[in-house]
Amino acid sequence: MTATSQAAANQDFVGARVVDPTLRLDAVRTVVVRRGVVAALLDGPPSAADPQAERVDCAGMVLCPGFIDPHVHLRDPGDPHKETLASGLAAAAAGGFTAVAAMPNTRPALDSSESVERLRHDAAALGGVRCYPIGAITLDREGTRIAPLRSMAAAGAVAFSDDGATTKSLKALYNAARYASDLPQRFFSHCEDDSFQDGLMHEGEISDRLGVPGSPSIAEAAIAARDLLVAQVSGKAWHLCHVSAAQTLDVLRAARSWGVDATAEVTAHHLQCTDEMLAGFNARYRVNPPLRSSSDTAAMRRAVADGTITVFASDHAPHAESEKEPPFSQACVGFSGLEVAIGATFNALGDVPLAVMVANFSSNVAALLGVSGGTLAPGSPADITGLRLNRAWSVNPAVFASKGKVTPFEGMTFAVKPALTVVGGRVLMHDQDGDARTERFATSSARGAS
Amino acid sequence: MIKTRHLLDLDDADRPFIEALIARARQFKQGIPNEGSRLRGRVVLGMFFETSTRTTTSFAVAAQRLGAAWINFRTDGSSLSKGESLEDTMHTVQAIGADAIVVRHPEAGFPQALARHFDGAILNAGDGAHAHPTQGLLDAMTLLEEFGDLTGRRLVICGDIRHSRVARSSARAAWLLGAAVTLCGPPSLLPPSEPGWGFAQLSSDFDAVLSAADALMLLRVQKERALGDDLPPYEDLAKWYGLTQARASMLAPHCIIMHPGPVNRDIEVEGQLMRNERSRIDRQVENGVYVRMAVLERTLGQASRERAA
Repeated sequence: MTATSQAAANQDFVGARVVDPTLRLDAVRTVVVRRGVVAALLDGPPSAADPQAERVDCAGMVLCPGFIDPHVHLRDPGDPHKETLASGLAAAAAGGFTAVAAMPNTRPALDSSESVERLRHDAAALGGVRCYPIGAITLDREGTRIAPLRSMAAAGAVAFSDDGATTKSLKALYNAARYASDLPQRFFSHCEDDSFQDGLMHEGEISDRLGVPGSPSIAEAAIAARDLLVAQVSGKAWHLCHVSAAQTLDVLRAARSWGVDATAEVTAHHLQCTDEMLAGFNARYRVNPPLRSSSDTAAMRRAVADGTITVFASDHAPHAESEKEPPFSQACVGFSGLEVAIGATFNALGDVPLAVMVANFSSNVAALLGVSGGTLAPGSPADITGLRLNRAWSVNPAVFASKGKVTPFEGMTFAVKPALTVVGGRVLMHDQDGDARTERFATSSARGAS
Repeated sequence: MIKTRHLLDLDDADRPFIEALIARARQFKQGIPNEGSRLRGRVVLGMFFETSTRTTTSFAVAAQRLGAAWINFRTDGSSLSKGESLEDTMHTVQAIGADAIVVRHPEAGFPQALARHFDGAILNAGDGAHAHPTQGLLDAMTLLEEFGDLTGRRLVICGDIRHSRVARSSARAAWLLGAAVTLCGPPSLLPPSEPGWGFAQLSSDFDAVLSAADALMLLRVQKERALGDDLPPYEDLAKWYGLTQARASMLAPHCIIMHPGPVNRDIEVEGQLMRNERSRIDRQVENGVYVRMAVLERTLGQASRERAA
């Protein structure tokens, strides 16, 4: 932390509606931040105005506990043309996120305590959005040899996952889960059966018309069942990444009925985008798991409404424009998500109460990862996300901080716009009346101080 | 209506488009004067990433009868297989002066990808399980020659529907011309719900749908594919969905037999039925040349108009 950012950490955020599900709070409050920590939530302006504190006008905004994205791909190390730690975390700040959990499918993979430590150190040196490493379950994520889970946990890994692919060997997964069963870190499953790897899109009416090999819902649901059986026998707490198929929700509900501690996340695109976007061989919309049918997206929305799904994730997976070109088999899978996730997720879930939306973006994610944040209770780090609920804006990837510009939401108009990102009392993004003033934390001064 | 200069599939085709091409093909079949000067000086490049004998030859003969040069682009040792990007290869091909590319590729959608980087015309000669539009047109031409009008006629297509680009294109062409279409095969190889592809009846009982057919099209069993995990052994498939003498005796007297070829004798069709009076297999091959002449003429004519504009 630089001296400047310490000084900026005394602030009064005034005039906003504050929504914090952990405090059952939904009222106008002044958020008083001192030395990077929430000092008080005052009903009215600060009584004894601190001359050193900066007054931040938040009229018309909703302030929430900082939003945490539990599933991003930062491509660092390995693919700087797709994203770097700096550009990815800048995208998070621009998109309204105060923290992200980084998936280990970098090159090389995040499969050692050294690499976990390095990521934490490098992210902290940038001084912006918090970045929590997720360690690989197996070495090099190749699905057979167990990674040093206990050392990675000690180094700061917040969860374990072979995301990007399913852990190939049931035996390795079973033994890894038992090896780490006494650790609080959850296992995050990417569910996609290996035998359907030739599937280039969801298997359904559209793939059949196109004559394209598909990956059916059961390719996801069957692995979810396998992995939650491992959770059951190992007693390990589990998490299903990017659930996309209605059938997987049936599996999740069943596993909970056996007593398995399982959570699940859904992405903005699986809440509303369908395989019809791939008609005409539009390779840009390839993603794993694939965009499925409208009955699947409807099931995802119902699952959020009924509390089956309690976590939102972007699955930010940036690629260069040229890597999203047809033919299907050559196109990289995944979307740039951090800068659209909040607007797009609210867009899909207009009927879900605001407090639930906020919990799914903040407190539920903090609990999932076992990290601080997720609340504005006095004494908590001043990680704050500010939203404007009725600020129509159009998605323009050209202005993304992320190097990834491909999103299925390009050109769409959303009502909810992230307008403020505060991490440890430091304002990283403040969209003043629609015109974003984004402080790029990857500046030379921040780097120089580290 | 198909508005682009390309012919990638028949998904956007309508009845007038198909009727016009077939009418022109029938004129070529009857013979028109100076056909050899119609595309003189034009260059048509064949890009076959999958082996093909009859389609390549048919396109080559069609191009040459119209006066165009037919050049086979060797895909085995090509720069594409040496890692050159699709875009760069297409720019090279463009610079060489190709007016049209006839492409076959094992991946569905590959011709669409080529079309993004080529100013000339792309003609799809088969892409994965997606489409084989000239096969669809030549089958429709064969049916029209037989019946004059397809209204009230039923085409039954039998075999591995799911992996067949011929089934997709031929079924659509026949349906657009007014025929009823039944797709017949085991449930795992049929479209997921009825009507299939938006218009076709589905059945898994070959014997039950045989007698209603005015035309019966058998599909080629791809033996190499049957070694995988998505097809039963081809002998099993052939037993239940192949045309035997016994099944042929259940056909209506006027019913014709079609097959896109090459036929696996005694698998899809019992050998002696191939030269039977019902068989239109040779007629299909013959019509293929005329249909491809009509397609090349229309496409290259349109491409030059677009480029002039």
